[in-house]
Amino acid sequence: MTTSSSSSLSLASTSTWVSTTSVSSSGKRIQREMVELNMDPPPDCSAGPKGDNLYHWVATIIGPPGTPYEGGIYFLDITFPSDYPFQPPKVVFRTRVFHCNVDSSGNVSLEIIKDNWSPALTITKVLLAIRSIFTKPDPYNPLVPGIARLYLADKAKHDELASEWTLRFAK
Amino acid sequence: MFRSHNVVTRIFDRQISSPAPGTSVHYARRFYENLVPNCTVYEVECPDHLYRKFTDDGQYLICFSRNHQRVIVYRPTWLSYSCKGDCNTNDLPQKARRFESFFSQLYSVSLPSSNELICKDFFLYMESNRYGLFATSTAQTFDALPVGGAVQGVPSIEKITFHLLRLEDGVVLDHKCFHNDFINLAHNVGAFLYDDLLAIVSLRYQTIHILQIRDSGNLVDVRAIGTFCREDDELFLNSSAQNIHETTVACFHSGIKQRLLSFIFRGIWNEETDPTSRVQGLKKKFYFHFQDYVDLIIWKVQFLDRHHLLIKFGSVDGGISRNTDLQPAFLAVYNMETTEIVAFYQNSADELYLLFEQFYDHFHATSRSPYTMNFVSSHSNNMHAREQLRCIKDKASNSLQFVKKMLASLPFNCQSQSPSPYFDQSLFRFDEKLISATDRHRQSTDHPIKFILRRQPCTLKFKIKPGPEAGSTDSRIKKISSFLFHPVLPLALSIQQTLFLHPAVVNIHFRK
Repeated sequence: MTTSSSSSLSLASTSTWVSTTSVSSSGKRIQREMVELNMDPPPDCSAGPKGDNLYHWVATIIGPPGTPYEGGIYFLDITFPSDYPFQPPKVVFRTRVFHCNVDSSGNVSLEIIKDNWSPALTITKVLLAIRSIFTKPDPYNPLVPGIARLYLADKAKHDELASEWTLRFAK
Repeated sequence: MFRSHNVVTRIFDRQISSPAPGTSVHYARRFYENLVPNCTVYEVECPDHLYRKFTDDGQYLICFSRNHQRVIVYRPTWLSYSCKGDCNTNDLPQKARRFESFFSQLYSVSLPSSNELICKDFFLYMESNRYGLFATSTAQTFDALPVGGAVQGVPSIEKITFHLLRLEDGVVLDHKCFHNDFINLAHNVGAFLYDDLLAIVSLRYQTIHILQIRDSGNLVDVRAIGTFCREDDELFLNSSAQNIHETTVACFHSGIKQRLLSFIFRGIWNEETDPTSRVQGLKKKFYFHFQDYVDLIIWKVQFLDRHHLLIKFGSVDGGISRNTDLQPAFLAVYNMETTEIVAFYQNSADELYLLFEQFYDHFHATSRSPYTMNFVSSHSNNMHAREQLRCIKDKASNSLQFVKKMLASLPFNCQSQSPSPYFDQSLFRFDEKLISATDRHRQSTDHPIKFILRRQPCTLKFKIKPGPEAGSTDSRIKKISSFLFHPVLPLALSIQQTLFLHPAVVNIHFRK
């Protein structure tokens, strides 16, 4: 199996290149978080900038073992606002997932990237928090009430459906 | 070992000795060294049709009318005539110079409705049922309006119809329409037939439609690979708790793209075991190129067997342009039953080239029995072809370019090669620039094309000369030739066209 080496793709992104001297404080902060993430990556998670744009990231979370999401590969888009870290990053699932905290467009409801955001939080913490919703869904603050209800009423049925989704849409 | 070229001796040899195991097909094919189309009838009086091809079983000659409205099918028959009195002359009677002496018309049917035209470069033959698949389409528009789900930058054709014809009697059995879509019909690029399974690539909607041609003559949708992978994914999604609107489809990676991205991801993830270097690797090899992978579109597809597809991915602008050999592209092997990507290569990958070099015939997916004589020479079944490839490879200054150029033929065009024994490179040598088993229009010169015996005594066996016998009057006019060889008989048609709207010059080459 071969995938492209880094020099191979000439289709590369068209975003504008910013010289290091003019990197704003948000850019510096994101860069620092990237180094931190690379030094100590959380389990089953990885992330990195798309092309050379520091503000648009892709993250991948591997469905944690022991959950109905096991075996799934979930891709997420992470967009940092220009006034990061004073505003939270925007996180969207690009892989379909059967989860009461993820709506039908891929938006996640996660307290720490909404009202409970704090500039002290980092992308590593955000990834860990997203990974934790796989292991512990929060049916009391659902985005999809139907799934939350099913989760509370019939967890076996919920898990069966969720793993079917994993098989069909997240492999 | 001494081998006689005398046909009587050969027949005698055949009676008393049997060939080495597994070589009987090659042994029998050698008789074609004795039976060659060495006689040419120049400028045959023939109907002004577009001559497409002989079917691979030799039963039919497929033609289209000049106005792209009708399919005309002929049965090749062997020339026979009787003459009064002096029969000793070598000249053929005047009657033999006519097209009708070699071909009898079976029928002529009108295919398209309203403003559609027959695509003259498209024809697929299902040998087991003697069904023919034809395509008609309206003109294409380049400034297609962006519609939900359609790829931007791909032109649109208002209507494309595939017609399934029973070639025995010309009855249209079934048809399948695509609206405001783009399917590359030229040289069968956008469709591939394997047994009874037909894959059609919708470039505009990035969907591989898998259809089955039933014995009853029906085209049945089996599955659509693209947005979803399994045939009931959409149904499953709609029946699940969430309401799926069209907008939500665009939010997620399509089914096939999710498979592709996760395959690439897992490959890089598994390369390293140390978490830190793993993240580094992913950052450089995966996330940096992520958008490029997401933007890849399906260009072309072929079957490798009943379950596996070889899919070529590339950028949007490469999908419709003609010369895409050296553009970056990727090839994936996809199992449509398990919905898994099995392998993924860049079009410059040495590993894939090695597979291509050693197992070329495996890419040429035909369910044809290996015991029939209907095979095409390739560098994996013919040492002369292999030598030729080695030679080109050694000469190539840039091995990366060479690999890309070779792999550009993947996935193969369906049914694009003639199985005629005269293209068997262990029997004959010929200039592949002027003629080859691959069905293609070629620039023609005024010189006849020579077919020389591969074995001793390496003599010239026959010549094929397209165009008028005396050559053309004006050598500056560009001439294009195509050749249709009968798969079994020593019979071939050469069709020469000038770029102006003159009727084509058709020569019949046969064994007198």
